[in-house]
Amino acid sequence: MSSTVSSIASQSREAGGQVVLEFERVTMAFGTRVLFRDVSFQVQRGATKVLLGEAATGKTTILKLVLGLLRPVSGRVRVLGHDVTRMPERELFELRRSIGMAFQESALFSSLSVRENVAYRLEEEGKLGEGEIEQRVRRCLDEVELGDVLDKLPADLSGGMQHRVSIARALATEPEIMLYDSPTGGLDPVTSAKIMQTIIQLRDLRRVTALLVTHRLQDGYLLASQRWDEQQKRLVAMDPRQSRTTFLLLCEGRVCFDGTAEELLRRQDPYLRRYLA
Amino acid sequence: MSEQTFSDIISGFIKGWIFALQEYWLLTAESFKNLFLRPFYISDTIIQADLIGVGSLPIVILTGFFTGAVMSLQLASTLSQYGQISRTGQLVSLSLVRELGPVLTALMISGRNASGMASELGSMVVTEQVDAMRALGTDPVKKLVTPRLIATTVMTFFLTIISDVCGLLGGYVYAVMALGLNGTHYWSSAYEALGFDDLNQGLIKPIFFGMIVATVGCFFGMKARGGTQGVGRATTQSVVVASVFIIVMDFIISSVLKKFSGLSAGI
Repeated sequence: MSSTVSSIASQSREAGGQVVLEFERVTMAFGTRVLFRDVSFQVQRGATKVLLGEAATGKTTILKLVLGLLRPVSGRVRVLGHDVTRMPERELFELRRSIGMAFQESALFSSLSVRENVAYRLEEEGKLGEGEIEQRVRRCLDEVELGDVLDKLPADLSGGMQHRVSIARALATEPEIMLYDSPTGGLDPVTSAKIMQTIIQLRDLRRVTALLVTHRLQDGYLLASQRWDEQQKRLVAMDPRQSRTTFLLLCEGRVCFDGTAEELLRRQDPYLRRYLA
Repeated sequence: MSEQTFSDIISGFIKGWIFALQEYWLLTAESFKNLFLRPFYISDTIIQADLIGVGSLPIVILTGFFTGAVMSLQLASTLSQYGQISRTGQLVSLSLVRELGPVLTALMISGRNASGMASELGSMVVTEQVDAMRALGTDPVKKLVTPRLIATTVMTFFLTIISDVCGLLGGYVYAVMALGLNGTHYWSSAYEALGFDDLNQGLIKPIFFGMIVATVGCFFGMKARGGTQGVGRATTQSVVVASVFIIVMDFIISSVLKKFSGLSAGI
C-alpha cells in the first residue's frame, strides 16, 4: 500500500499541471443538517486555492474531507489519484504523509516541546536516524523563523508562533499538499504578514499545492499578487496572468464562485459584491 | 401531538443509548485488535502504568487498610453474639479477597483514572489534537487507548493484590489491638479460609474491572464534544458509567464462577 501511495505521489510530481486534488459533486451533512451540496472543484499541482465564505459554510470541513478525517454523504474526493472517500483508515494514514495541515487553533500537542511536535511524524515512522530528524526539525523551524524555540512548550508561545510551529510540523514530512485553516485568524497584522510570507515562500520555493481557508480577503489577494524573490529575499509584485492562485467562495451550501482574483473582482453578483464589501 | 413528541423523545433517547453502546464496543474491539498490530507503544504503556499504578497506590493502600479494619470491627461485634469472634480473620479474608478488595480497588481506580483519561483525551479532542494526530498518520486508538487499556488492566490486577494484603493487615491491627485476639490465630484462620475458587474469583475480577475503567474512560474522552463543558460532562459520565459497569460485572463474574465452582463440586 505504501508503495502505491508513493508511486501516485511520484507520478504527480512528474506530471506538472496534473490535478492533484479534486472534489466531485460532494455533499456533506451532519445529522439532518446539510452543510453543502454538490461541491465540485479541482486544484492542479503547484496551484493554490483560497476558500472563502461566511462562518459555518463548511470551509474547514472541506480540508478535513481532503485528509479523510471526515467522510462525505455523497460524491468523491480524489487526492493524488486516490479516492479518499473509499479508502480504509489504515491506508489513509499512509496517504496523509503527502498532506500537511496547519490547524485553525494550531492543535499542537500540549505536552510535547516544539522540537517533539515538529519531529512527531518522523519519530513515529522511525525511518530516519536521530541526527537526520534533528536536522529536518531545525530546517523546518528555520523556514518559519522559529529556530530558537526548540525546547519550549506550546503554551509558552504566542498564538502567531503556535501557528508557525504548526506549519513547521506539517512541513516535516515534505508534503505535496498543504492545507491551511485560517492561518492568520485572530492575529495582529505584523504576525499575519509574517505567516503569509511563509506560505508564499513555501509555494514558490517548494512548489507545494495548497488549499487555504481564510476570512481575510487581503490574504487571498496577497497570494494572488505577490511572489517570493529568493535573490532579494522579499515579496515582490507578480504579473496577475502568471498567478496560479484561484478563489472558491461557498455560500448557502453551494459554490458561489470559482475563479481567479480578477474574475472575482469583476463579478457583479449581489452576494459577491456584499461579501467583498 | 404531545404524545408523539414524548414518544419521539423516548425513541431518540433509546437510539442514542444503543448508538453509544455500539460505538463503545467498536472502540473496545479496536483497542483489543491493536494489541497484536504494530507499532507497539511500549514507552507510552510504561508511562501510563506509572501514572495509573504508582499514582493510585496511596488511595488503594488507605482504602484497603481501613476497609479491613472496619470489617474487623463490624464482624467482631456480630460474631461475638454467637461466641465466634475467633473467626474474624476468616471472614475478613473471604470478604476481602472475593468481593470487597477487587470492587473497592476498581472503584478507587475508576474515580481517579477513568476521570483522568476522559478529561485528558477529551481536552485533546476539543483542541483538535486528536485530529492532528490522525492527520500526522497516527491511529489515535492505538496511540492513546491501547496503552491505557494494557496499563490499567495490569495495574488493577496488582493493585487489587496490594489492597487485599493491606485490608488483611487493617483487620489484623484492629483484631489484635482493639479486640485482643491472638495475631497468629488471625493470620492462620485468614489463610486457611481461602480456597482456590476464592483466589480465582479475586484475581479474575480485577482484570475485567481494569478493562472497564480504561475503555469507559477513553470512550467518553474520545467522544467529548462542546469545549470545556463537554470535557467536564465526559469526565463525570465516565466515572458514573465505569462504577456501574464494575458493580454489574462483579455480579456477572460472581454468578458465572459460582456456577462453574458448583459444577466442579458436583452441586
